[in-house]
Amino acid sequence: MIDDFGSADRRFIVRIVLAAGFAILFLRLFQLQYLNAELYGKEAEENSIRNVPKVAIRGYVYDRKGKLLIDNRPSYSVMLTPVDFDKKNLPLLTTILSMPEEMILEKIRLGRKYNAFIPTRIKRDISFAELSMLEEHKDKLYGVEIQMESKRFYPAAAHGSHLFGYAKEISDVQLEKQKDYYQPADIIGSTGIEAKYEQLLRGEKGWEFISQNAKGQIIGTFDNGKHDILPVDGVDLHLAIDGDVQAMAESLLNGRRGAVIAIDPRNGGIIALVSKPDYDLSIFSGTTPPDVWRALNTDEGIPLYNRATLTRYPPGSTFKMLLALTALDKKIIDENWKVTCPGSFRYGNKIFKCEHVHGTVNVVDAIHRSCNVFFYQLMLKVGLDEWSEMGKKFGFGKQTKVDITEENSGLMPDRNYYDRIHGKGKWTQGYLISLGIGQGEVGVTPLQLANYTAMLANKGNFYQPHALNRTYNKRTKQFSEVKVDHREVTLSDHTWELVREGMRRVVMAPGGTGAASRVPGIEVAGKTGTAQNPHGKSHAWFIGFAPFEDPKIAICVLVENVGYGGAFAAPIAGLCMEQFLYGEIIRYSKRPMKLEPNLPDEEPVAEN
Amino acid sequence: MNSFLKEYFDRRIFFCVLSLTGIGLLSIYSATFDAYAGRDFYRQLLWAVIGLFAMLSMMLLPLRWLQRNALTIFFASLSLLVLVLFAGKRVYGSQSWLGFAGLGIQPSEFVKITTMLALASFLSQSDVKATDLKDLVKTSAIVALPIALIMLQPDFGTALTFLAMFIPVLYWAGASKFLIIIIIAPAFIAAASIFGTTPFLIVLILLGAGLYKLRDENRFFAVIVFGANVVIGFFVQIVYEKLPLYQQKRIATFLDPNNDPLGAGYNVIQAKVAIGSGGLFGKGFMRGTQTQLSFIPKQWTDFIFCVPGEEFGLLGGIVVLGLFSVLLFHGVHLASTAKNKFGSLLAIGFTCLFAFHVFVNIGMSVGLMPVIGIPLPFLSYGGSSLVSYMMVAGLMMNVYANRKEY
Repeated sequence: MIDDFGSADRRFIVRIVLAAGFAILFLRLFQLQYLNAELYGKEAEENSIRNVPKVAIRGYVYDRKGKLLIDNRPSYSVMLTPVDFDKKNLPLLTTILSMPEEMILEKIRLGRKYNAFIPTRIKRDISFAELSMLEEHKDKLYGVEIQMESKRFYPAAAHGSHLFGYAKEISDVQLEKQKDYYQPADIIGSTGIEAKYEQLLRGEKGWEFISQNAKGQIIGTFDNGKHDILPVDGVDLHLAIDGDVQAMAESLLNGRRGAVIAIDPRNGGIIALVSKPDYDLSIFSGTTPPDVWRALNTDEGIPLYNRATLTRYPPGSTFKMLLALTALDKKIIDENWKVTCPGSFRYGNKIFKCEHVHGTVNVVDAIHRSCNVFFYQLMLKVGLDEWSEMGKKFGFGKQTKVDITEENSGLMPDRNYYDRIHGKGKWTQGYLISLGIGQGEVGVTPLQLANYTAMLANKGNFYQPHALNRTYNKRTKQFSEVKVDHREVTLSDHTWELVREGMRRVVMAPGGTGAASRVPGIEVAGKTGTAQNPHGKSHAWFIGFAPFEDPKIAICVLVENVGYGGAFAAPIAGLCMEQFLYGEIIRYSKRPMKLEPNLPDEEPVAEN
Repeated sequence: MNSFLKEYFDRRIFFCVLSLTGIGLLSIYSATFDAYAGRDFYRQLLWAVIGLFAMLSMMLLPLRWLQRNALTIFFASLSLLVLVLFAGKRVYGSQSWLGFAGLGIQPSEFVKITTMLALASFLSQSDVKATDLKDLVKTSAIVALPIALIMLQPDFGTALTFLAMFIPVLYWAGASKFLIIIIIAPAFIAAASIFGTTPFLIVLILLGAGLYKLRDENRFFAVIVFGANVVIGFFVQIVYEKLPLYQQKRIATFLDPNNDPLGAGYNVIQAKVAIGSGGLFGKGFMRGTQTQLSFIPKQWTDFIFCVPGEEFGLLGGIVVLGLFSVLLFHGVHLASTAKNKFGSLLAIGFTCLFAFHVFVNIGMSVGLMPVIGIPLPFLSYGGSSLVSYMMVAGLMMNVYANRKEY
């Protein structure tokens, strides 16, 4: 056999193998670094850059006089980095934070599941005592740090529980709906103004880009922070609310259930919106202890429920003006049309009562003295359709589109409604009689009634009720006014004159039921009402506006389960209007007395 | 002077080794840059200087003396391998390190050289024939000894490199091509059969074609070999399927790391991301995010190729591959032109040793090869490997200087 040592064909094979090896490697590099470079580039980027959200400072809220209603205060959270924390220090941490050990362990476990290198929040809004204890034991508690955050603070006297609403840590349900912006533990406005104007108040989150290594440990800023996006601070809200009137209305309703809504009849701005019982908003600004939350939810006064916009009662005698306006406008009656009141009204075999024998009354007298018999008869004369149509023009039976939270649309019965409930042709005029005095099926919210009062004050101008007047953008340093819907119900001057004169007499003339709402030196117009309550004592209504000739405030007061409106609701309205119009309560400087509603000691003049 | 240098000094190898070592040092600097900036870099730089001296001494050693004493040196070096089994340090699961004057060395790296010297010395003897069965057994024994000792550490990857040297040397020395096929075919057949039927059939067809071409040597034998390989293929497949699932997974992951992206495949995927994201021109020195943020474990050793790949892109990759191809093709040229068998065998053996390291290591970094922990010559961090490869280069330069001697 020939010696084949290093023969030509063997050299060739070795060279081929080498060439093939290099060719394969080169083609692979070409594939990775040229054909797929973009794909891998993206992957590398995602690997190494972490986006850390920077929460913007939530917008501040001011009242119409520029007084701060909602502020931000620093709050401190305890953060713990799972990998750095030594479990043998757990008892110390448990003692300082007075939290059960299992709860801390559970939070650490959750944090570890997400990323053991990223601090996880153990407790929000710790007390000063806890803070100083933590600082004192800092050297022992490695991996535990304090993070400064901000929480809502309410510097004004006004609670504004239902008006302002609360902003709290986002719930799973909320998060599920808005995953594109929010992250777990973000703060979100959940009720009231905080919810309605969440988009404005929250501002825009910023992003910090941080380089991390394979374990998620932070290496430093990415590209010297050149790509960081600064947070945009939230927009400030300037409300139509008068903080003093709001606070006064809240204090006057203390211990009762009810609502007060005051509206500026010149533009629909809400001056005060109170629902009682209420609660302290600051319990939501840090952590809400579960027992506090449970207590709020099970309280039989339902403090979380916004009576001002959600509750629905018959408007009682406050609705008499609506019927009067309809009749006068449609020329069904004039001021000379009179009814003689014998103290009751018989229709078929049913008797409808009046509280007094009013004698012969015209439309102005009937409003002034709240004669039911007059309006029973008028209702039969006017009929359901005209009345119902006018009611809808005044905003009843539908939502006012107020900018606060959910509202009830109330119920303004019409032909369709009766056909649906009783069956077509199965109801008679007799069904309508009590509607004339605002009883029966008709249901209104305090907000709708306040809005109606404002329209009585400004002679038929509907302005969409709104708490927000204007916004201030801190970045552009610009105010922008809120635009609201406006429409008009055109009625003759004479019609307005008669009805409003009736209302003026309710307060200003002897024999009126609303005398308790008088304001020193200012002419007030109003009307009391009683919503019959099948479950107990009636609910008291009072609506009113002032000054009579040039109204600046229209108000609706509801006090539940107290009986007559004149006695309980009217004095509250009077004090609120006085506070608004004078900027203080002047009656006491002239004649000192206690700051509480001026309740009559005798049984008030009945209305229904 | 200039013509003297040209005659006796292998400038090609010297240039390639210095360039590759330089690239390696930069890559190590970049990959290990942290609070102790440069500590590993300076340590490697020191090794490079030591290696340079070792390289030059290897170049100047009398080749004849080496040839005569190769077996003695070989057996002496084997004692180090025995020593390491008793007194060695365990690193990454292998007991392969010897503490030596405060520095760790890996005897197996140097035993590669002595084994090659022994092989070349034995096969270059005028009465030894690579076709003779008795001589083949003796040659095999020379390689089997260090392989057995290294498998005891155990260090599978390093043991494989001995085969990568041994088989080409046998081939170069004139062993029957049949023999070579008989040795390497089963390994390819076995791997292919685990991958599936199609790869198995492809390898089988290639084997058939090779055997058909060699049919004149021994027709009957060719059929036997072919048949035996078919049986091996089926047998491996059957055994593989009988294995418990976790073992199957382990083997599949070894052959294709992409099967296990969070475990064994993690390195490979991160390495691919690093290299791929480098693009055409790279992200710039010290600016590779994958490298700087330690996404690739043990990057400065086995996955060092990712650094030039990520920070200098395809351009960097081509430079590294280019330098290696110059070195390797020059090595083949040297083996082909050296007048003495000893030098020729040394050149081809070392060339193939480098080739194996380059193809397996870079192939692993780009996701084409199983993860076998073997370093990339001149680039990977590690004193023993750098010094030993520089010694290998020195020996190749020695062959160059003596290429005209018989």
